[in-house]
Amino acid sequence: MSTSDSSSSSQSEYVTLVSGDGFEFVIPRSTACVSGTIRRMLEPSSRFSESVTGRCVLENISGIVLEKVCEYFCYNEKNKNQTYVPDMDIPPELCLELLMAADYLDA
Amino acid sequence: MSLRARNKIRAPRRGMAGSKTNDFETSWAELSSSLKKIHTKDASALSFEEIYRKSYNIVLGMRGTELYERIQQLEREWLDTEVHKLVTGAISPSLLLAKQLVDAQDQANERRDAGERFLAVLKEAWEDHQLCMKMITDVLMYMDRVMSTDHRKPSIYVASMALFRDHVLRAPIRSDTSTSVYDVLESTVLFMLQLERSGHIIDRPLIRHCVYMLEGLYETITEEESTKLYLTVFEPAFLEASKKFYQAEGRRLLETGDAATFCKVATERLSEETERCIDTLSSLSKTKIKDVLDNELIKNNIAEVVKLEGTGVRTMLDNDRIDNLRSVYVLSARVDSKKTPLTTAVQRRIVEMGKEINASAIASQVSATAAGKKPAPGEKKPAEKPVNQQTVAAIKWVDDILRLKQKFDNIWENAFESDQVLQSAITSSFSEFINLSQGGDSRSSEYLSLFFDENLKKGIKGKTDSEIDTLLDNGITLLRYIKDKDMFEAYYKKHLSRRLLMKRSVSMDAERQMISKMKMEVGNQFTQRLESMFKDMTISEDLTSSYKEHMRQSSDPDQKRIELDINVLTSTMWPMEIMSNARNDEVQLPPILPKEVDSVKQSFEQFYLGKHNGRKLSWQASMGTADIRATFQRANGKVQRHELNVSTYAMIILLLFNDVPAGESLTYTEIQERTRIPDHDLIRNLQSLAVAPKTRVLKKDPMSKDVKPTDKFVFNNEFQSPFMKVRIGVVSGSANKVENQDQRKETEKKMSEERGASIEAAIVRIMKQRKTLIHSQLMTEVLSQLSARFVPDVNMIKKRIESLIDREYLERVEEDPPTYGYVA
Repeated sequence: MSTSDSSSSSQSEYVTLVSGDGFEFVIPRSTACVSGTIRRMLEPSSRFSESVTGRCVLENISGIVLEKVCEYFCYNEKNKNQTYVPDMDIPPELCLELLMAADYLDA
Repeated sequence: MSLRARNKIRAPRRGMAGSKTNDFETSWAELSSSLKKIHTKDASALSFEEIYRKSYNIVLGMRGTELYERIQQLEREWLDTEVHKLVTGAISPSLLLAKQLVDAQDQANERRDAGERFLAVLKEAWEDHQLCMKMITDVLMYMDRVMSTDHRKPSIYVASMALFRDHVLRAPIRSDTSTSVYDVLESTVLFMLQLERSGHIIDRPLIRHCVYMLEGLYETITEEESTKLYLTVFEPAFLEASKKFYQAEGRRLLETGDAATFCKVATERLSEETERCIDTLSSLSKTKIKDVLDNELIKNNIAEVVKLEGTGVRTMLDNDRIDNLRSVYVLSARVDSKKTPLTTAVQRRIVEMGKEINASAIASQVSATAAGKKPAPGEKKPAEKPVNQQTVAAIKWVDDILRLKQKFDNIWENAFESDQVLQSAITSSFSEFINLSQGGDSRSSEYLSLFFDENLKKGIKGKTDSEIDTLLDNGITLLRYIKDKDMFEAYYKKHLSRRLLMKRSVSMDAERQMISKMKMEVGNQFTQRLESMFKDMTISEDLTSSYKEHMRQSSDPDQKRIELDINVLTSTMWPMEIMSNARNDEVQLPPILPKEVDSVKQSFEQFYLGKHNGRKLSWQASMGTADIRATFQRANGKVQRHELNVSTYAMIILLLFNDVPAGESLTYTEIQERTRIPDHDLIRNLQSLAVAPKTRVLKKDPMSKDVKPTDKFVFNNEFQSPFMKVRIGVVSGSANKVENQDQRKETEKKMSEERGASIEAAIVRIMKQRKTLIHSQLMTEVLSQLSARFVPDVNMIKKRIESLIDREYLERVEEDPPTYGYVA
């Protein structure tokens, strides 16, 4: 975590999401901002450490769930303006955890 | 981590989110210190996720309400201690002084500086609070979501805004006083606005920001639009202060006593206040401050402004200050759709100016009559002059009115934006003074007719068609204002008949044009008689030529023929005074014509009655003219011939002298006995023959102006004239001119007779159609039928109804309400 590249990271197009068990996912900023929580986290005017570094550590989400979350972000981005949206495959065993993550991330 | 076996849904692990009671206190301790860091702008070291997760866990642990309360408590303390101290610290004593002390300049400056400092601090505090609360709200988003949906609590952001309102703005600045921070804010802002109104430059954006704050704060937690602090507290105070200011401003401007300045300042103030609302305050107040201005500055003062002596509307009208008038109009139009003060002022001025024109017309008449009464001994043309002066006065009157009309048309168009209300006001004022009785009777009809007469005789010579058109149109415009159109018709008829008979009209086309214009303006009925006069003229031309033809065929070629141009006129269509032989009710015998002329007369009568059986011709010598060739025997034996164009009467007189030996004279009485010319006409004709300096065909003894029965007349063989043809006009007979008092009475008597007949005709027409009618309805109908021609006198109508009942055309059907029936 370095604060030196604050200006570039606040403008940077990509952000890094880090799971509680250390997996990192680099996804486009706009995609990540589907989540209300992440969007506020990265809000440039508030200048929390996340917005300064462009790196969000999500302590209570595991890598496997976060992967699915990122998949959803991209899925959402891809099908933004479409009428017919294909179903997204969600393994049943992840359902509850994903639900909780969704609640947490406000997405 | 998860086993993907058996598609079984597993409960999420709770380990990480595990929340115990003791966890709450530790979490809160960390949270509160983080929040404080946010307030002290130390947030970059904080992890959003961490705080978020903590609050998330607390809420999941069912302690959300408690957390909410604690945060409120934290905010309250923060505002009470830190922010309040900061803000009150910026209030310097000068801000607490009595509010309206602007007089001392340095004090004002000091207060202004202090005020700006205070506002800046307050603005800063507010913006910080906003920013911090936004961050806190973001961080506590999860709690907010749960609290507002599950517990129906306002968002922590809203709650903290309310806290700011109560714990900063509404907190007393010191514990020992009730003055709150808001009070200081209000008085400071108003003070700044006051400064700006008196021409100082202030920090507009700063005030705008403070107003933003007031707009961002609400009275209630539900944040309805109408409960913005700006609307509930500040705006009323602002409007009240503005009201006072503009009341004072209005008084001050009135005291300076310049209407133009008032309008200028008022217009400027209007745009200034609008601008102020946009730049400095809130556009919410735009219409309200305009109302204040309209009411306090304009509505309350406009009447005074209009009336201002020396600079008001009157002066503006007099000097054609279009710009100023426009401002007055625009301001008036803002507050009153009728623009009453302006309208009255304009109307009064028009009537005043109109009266001046009337008065000057009368004055020149009076002076003319005075001059006519006692002519200076050396004056050569005593009889002509006053007459001309009066006519000139009449024409000047019309010209003046037209000029006035043009002036107001111009003002109306350019300054009053062609406003309907003002147009009708102007029209009615013109009509008012034109129909205003001048010493008992209105002469406008006569004057207007004279104006047309003059123009059709001389005025239009050498003018283009379009110029003539405009000229006539102008006259018609005035005709529109004249209420007694029948009066005008009578005069016009009289003047027209003179023009036609004496062939004085310059252009028959223009005459016809005039008639058709009048027809358009007043209607068919009005011009009927005028048109038939034209018809008579045309028929007479044909008649004359066919008579000439007839004479050429029937009479001896060697007989000395007298050429006859005859006009046969239908007696009902032409003016009465031309037709009647009766003057002062005594029957006048027709004049004795010389035998030569008499034979022509008889031969024409024969010819005419042969063509039209059963008609009666009556000869109107007073309207005729004759061309005679006169031979003047000079003392040295030479003979000088002149062709004289004289009136018929003059011809008769001159022909008498054919039978009188040279050098012998006839007395007035002799002439009268031999000719039977009425006294009045005889005197006038003798005057023009013997007194008028250039046309002295007869010599009179004694040589004086007045003609007395004992005067002797002798043919003047010494008559000199540079021209071969000499026109001898009859003194004050043939020219159309202003009537004197007697003539006017005569005309009016005739007029009223004629009106009586019109009224009766109208009554009978209406009753024939309706059979029975209530009195009041009958009155209205009669009035509406006749109003195009004249304004009938109600008493006259009543009398006419009575007389119709007496003559059994009508009967009384009922008494209450009075109703009449038509008797067939």
